[in-house]
Amino acid sequence: MKPLTKTVFQSIFSGAVCSAALLMAVALPAQPGPSGKSAPAPHQAKKLTASAIQVERTGPTEDLVIPEDTRVATYENLILQLNKTKKFEHVYRSGDRTAATVPDLVILRLIPEAFKAGSQKQREVTTISGATSIKVKIQFSSRDGKVLLEKDVEGKVRFYGENLRATYDLAKKVAALVNQTF
Amino acid sequence: MKIRIARAKTGTPSKQKEIVWRLLQLAGLLIFATGMVLVATAARALNRQPATPQAAQSNSIPHVKCVVGLESLKPNVKGSLSVLPNGLEFATGKNKVDISTTSILDIFAGQESRQDVSGTAGTLAKVAIPYGGGRIVSLFSHQVEVLTVEYEDSNGGFHGAIFVLPEGKATAVKNQLAANGAKVTPHVQALQQQEQKP
Repeated sequence: MKPLTKTVFQSIFSGAVCSAALLMAVALPAQPGPSGKSAPAPHQAKKLTASAIQVERTGPTEDLVIPEDTRVATYENLILQLNKTKKFEHVYRSGDRTAATVPDLVILRLIPEAFKAGSQKQREVTTISGATSIKVKIQFSSRDGKVLLEKDVEGKVRFYGENLRATYDLAKKVAALVNQTF
Repeated sequence: MKIRIARAKTGTPSKQKEIVWRLLQLAGLLIFATGMVLVATAARALNRQPATPQAAQSNSIPHVKCVVGLESLKPNVKGSLSVLPNGLEFATGKNKVDISTTSILDIFAGQESRQDVSGTAGTLAKVAIPYGGGRIVSLFSHQVEVLTVEYEDSNGGFHGAIFVLPEGKATAVKNQLAANGAKVTPHVQALQQQEQKP
């Protein structure tokens, strides 16, 4: 009985080793080359550095009607969340004159792309409809106007919470993007 | 046979007990749901009643929520909002924040609806009510006004403070501030009215 189990184990082990070797042989050509030769992913390579950031306020747009409280809440929540990241020595507000002396200032602009007002009551009663969402293009640029990074971010409130919570969600996502980028 | 009779005899009261217990549970749930609605309605009424005479006497509006925008205060803090001759004052139990009339860039007043039962505890209670009872509680809402005050600090930095006030108060505050010399853009008023109509 013992030699039989030994041969079974040996055959299973050899089969496993063979299949592992086969898998490695197939997988190796698919791997990228040595780190020096391969082109790294653009997001990983572009780590930006700045000692301060200035958040520009979002002005009213002609084609897209966003309530003023939503625009202001987005701006204020964004400043709160950027301060929480602790990536910058100072987070300047739009129009702050003291930002003029900072040499490596990065300017953050929010360009609204879509807005859906939604309804808290509808959300809570139906669960599937009434979501509030705000989609913006996040643009990091240098003082001379050179765009350093652009990305679309969407803030939502789907089930429970007031409509303005979508701006908090958006600000949290932008802060996560800042954490990745800087 | 004896055993069967004994089982039948013991089974009947237990079933009755079960039925009574279920009825009691349902009654309890109904009382809980009704109580929640009544509490929400009563709280709203109590909040409103003392607000009117005080506001008329001292221009101070209690139970105002500052959603965001006042730097030394945490978001969603409650306090009283007063219109002073030289600006706007928001006071909580510990802190006071002033916005001077000269620093105000624009004021907006808009209407919104808020759930009668809200917040973390309210949401949990709504979720806990079985058979979708929470959805019925969600149907109860009241109108509020949202006051957005845009202002700048001493360095020229842009700020925006959002306050949630009882219905009809935001427009009064806006008019008072405008009368005191605060800047109010007229074309934005028309825009907001357009938004409210559809």
